[in-house]
Amino acid sequence: MRTPRLLALSAVTLAAIALAGCAAPGAGDAEPATRAGGTLVYATGDAEPACLDPHVGGNYPQALISTQYIEPLVGRDASGKITPWLATDWAMSEDGLTWDFTLAEGVTFTDGTPLDAAAVKTNIEHLQDPETQSSTGFIALQKVQEVEVVSDSHARFHLSEPDSALLESLSQQWTAIQSPAGIARGMEVNCQLPIGTGPFIVEEWVPQDHVTLVRNENYQTPGPENDHSDGDDGAGAYLDGIEWRFIPDAATRFAALQSGEVHVIDNPLPSDITAIAQSSDGEHIDAPRPGSVNRIELNAGQAPFDDALVREAFIRSADPAPGIETLFLGTATRAVSPLASIEPLATGDAGLLKTDPKRAAALLDEAGWKPGADGVREKDGARLTVRFPVSTNQSTAAEQSLFEQIQANTAAVGFDVQLEPVDLSTWHKRLGAHEYEAVSAPYTKVGPDVLRILYHSDGMTPAPSGYFANHAQLSDPELDATLEQAAQTANEGERATLYADAQQRILESFTVLPLYDQQNHFLARGVTGVTTLGTVATPTFVNAKLQA
Amino acid sequence: MARLSRVAVAVLKKLGAAALVVWITATVVFLALRASGDPLEAILGGPGSQAGPETAAQATAAYGLDQPVFVQYLQQLWRIATLQFGDSYARKQPVSELLAANVPPTLALATLAFALAWALALAGTLLAANARGRAGAVARALLTAVETVASVVPQFFLGAVLILVFATGLRWFPATGAAAGGLPALVLPVITLAVPVAGYLAHVLHGPLTEADRSPFATTARARGANESRVLARHTLRHAALPAIALSGWAYGSLLSGAVVVEVLFARQGLGRLLLEAATVRDVPVVIGAVVVVALLYVLVMIVSEIVETLVDPRGGRAAAARAGGVGGDRSGGPSRSGGSGRSGGGGAPGSSATRTTAGSEMIA
Repeated sequence: MRTPRLLALSAVTLAAIALAGCAAPGAGDAEPATRAGGTLVYATGDAEPACLDPHVGGNYPQALISTQYIEPLVGRDASGKITPWLATDWAMSEDGLTWDFTLAEGVTFTDGTPLDAAAVKTNIEHLQDPETQSSTGFIALQKVQEVEVVSDSHARFHLSEPDSALLESLSQQWTAIQSPAGIARGMEVNCQLPIGTGPFIVEEWVPQDHVTLVRNENYQTPGPENDHSDGDDGAGAYLDGIEWRFIPDAATRFAALQSGEVHVIDNPLPSDITAIAQSSDGEHIDAPRPGSVNRIELNAGQAPFDDALVREAFIRSADPAPGIETLFLGTATRAVSPLASIEPLATGDAGLLKTDPKRAAALLDEAGWKPGADGVREKDGARLTVRFPVSTNQSTAAEQSLFEQIQANTAAVGFDVQLEPVDLSTWHKRLGAHEYEAVSAPYTKVGPDVLRILYHSDGMTPAPSGYFANHAQLSDPELDATLEQAAQTANEGERATLYADAQQRILESFTVLPLYDQQNHFLARGVTGVTTLGTVATPTFVNAKLQA
Repeated sequence: MARLSRVAVAVLKKLGAAALVVWITATVVFLALRASGDPLEAILGGPGSQAGPETAAQATAAYGLDQPVFVQYLQQLWRIATLQFGDSYARKQPVSELLAANVPPTLALATLAFALAWALALAGTLLAANARGRAGAVARALLTAVETVASVVPQFFLGAVLILVFATGLRWFPATGAAAGGLPALVLPVITLAVPVAGYLAHVLHGPLTEADRSPFATTARARGANESRVLARHTLRHAALPAIALSGWAYGSLLSGAVVVEVLFARQGLGRLLLEAATVRDVPVVIGAVVVVALLYVLVMIVSEIVETLVDPRGGRAAAARAGGVGGDRSGGPSRSGGSGRSGGGGAPGSSATRTTAGSEMIA
């Protein structure tokens, strides 16, 4: 029975491939002609949000969809410069403890509630209320003590200490401003149908299927990406609406894009990206996320990586560059900084990350780790074991393959890397219990202050869930001081110097092996004008037009 | 009447077994989820929540997580007994609402796939059975090959191929869009779900059919002047369908679990996807609610399949009821054991000669 079964299987596969090949649309001179109106279909592979209000919890899927209907006080353009949005102007007091924001005049939320200083105050209080269960927005605004309503168009933020990251924090979707009347309806309703000022309005949410967004006919608040803010017909969206679908399977998403069922997809596979990039039918948008890069962190809090020599040996022998190039098919490039390449203050040091297996072996010898019988080094009866839990929910297939290559590369000098693919919950459990020597955990945040969250020794104190951000268990008083100073200075030049110093210090600790930017690709077909925000790199469809 | 009351007793026994199944299921799920993750995380935005101490304290109190685990377990059982299931940790919605929204799409999917599987299996079997002579031999060999391939092809692979061919390539049916696409969006998922089960059912059908065709009761029927269609419809098929019907309960259950793969692949709303997503974030009330509903559906389907088996069984009355009375057991005890149900797990193994004589004599009588 075995042979016919295999034969039949291969025949089916071949037939399928042949059919797909024949029927593939002629790559071609697709007409660039566009039309106004129509419904764009967006297919996301990110988890479906449990709540459409990004104040509650605060994850990337919420940022993605809420970009369409809720807008922040300030924006950030592609160059990293903070720009006006709902606030037209702002000023910091000399001591850095009060910030005055002037709000855009005459703006209303889509329920008719006016956008005024009281609305801003309600939003900040909502974020800081434990009942909201906010975590991302809550952490971003920890230094905000109170918002004072000076006048309708004038809100004053009182801080507990100077915060050079305040504007960056306020530019994120997780702190964006919603209708206070919407918030007053309570969490269950506001999670289903949040109300903002954005170019679209949430009309309906069919769980596990789609969210229907319709055009805001009275759109008044164009952000930095809007290309028709002084157009004759206003700054609103050209589309009639968006159907936001949840399609968890990557192959199905790409198939739906190719068959024309959907216009834009996120989280494409590297092979799908190259397929679209090489054809003239479709567009590839590469929008790496801000904050940290994807990186491997070595746990300096316990053996064997409490020894800097052993950490350096790992980083000198991991050699991730060839794997990144082949596994990601050129869609990702090797990073040399802990900060995302789109952060204006990112600096790197390729020399500290240079691959050198001989040196790695010498370092391990020096540290007292001697080659054992099976090639794994040993010291005082202990093997050079590196437990590496991998979250299969967060690490893509390509990234997991890269870890396997690193496992092989480091084995050559005597490391025994034990990759353990686990689900998200188990993964957090491992980290919380410190049952890891290496880990990969990306962190998205606008601005370089992410370094304070990730590498300040305060980041070793766990939240009630057991979560802590400082996975490298880096505890360096001088680095702490630098990061605190950088977070407080109002002087741009000084801020850049301090963050450059911090990044150098982090790389020199050999606790971090930068890999590549947090991948964030979008594929579009049959639509033009799709752009991403300069904040958390979420797409906006305010300029989008369907092809005629 | 005696037949009916025996069936009633069997059904009651089944319901008792169902309660036991639900209790065991709920207990296992509760323990497994509590052992593998902190439910507080699910409430505060999923694993790795960064929520602060105040928020955590408030949520702990609000969801009763400060009670002893045993008390929480009893509360959970009480919620199941009253079919309340509580509120979803992650979605902040009553579990009953989530189930109400997700059970119908999965039932529709599984039921359509079940009907299609039976139709395919019957069509293939009859086609092969009716072909005589050399062509018949070839057809039967071909059928065996097809049903073998069909019963082992993984659904995620079959689904991917169908999407590639019929959605991306030919563009006959959409790959996604359950809500917007309506019926056309159901075609590919239903086929994906049905084919492996059809292969298995055909496998189970066609062995006994071939056998029944050669049996004395078929010969007798033919000798009495019945034509081939009548022999098939009244005699051989009825006999041959028994093992497949006995397997149908299991088959329907496998469709419910297969729905997980198909719902994710085709991005459909349903119980399988709800369960998967809830399990990922340790949303205990949703997982328990979904698993209990699946268990109940399974038990229900088993009962229905027992009843149908009793009605279809050509030997009728006593023998069938005796078997129905033995439900839940290993199906090996009735005095009038027949090849039909005795082979429920065998999948097309040749029947014993005893089968032929027993069944044959009953038919003639």
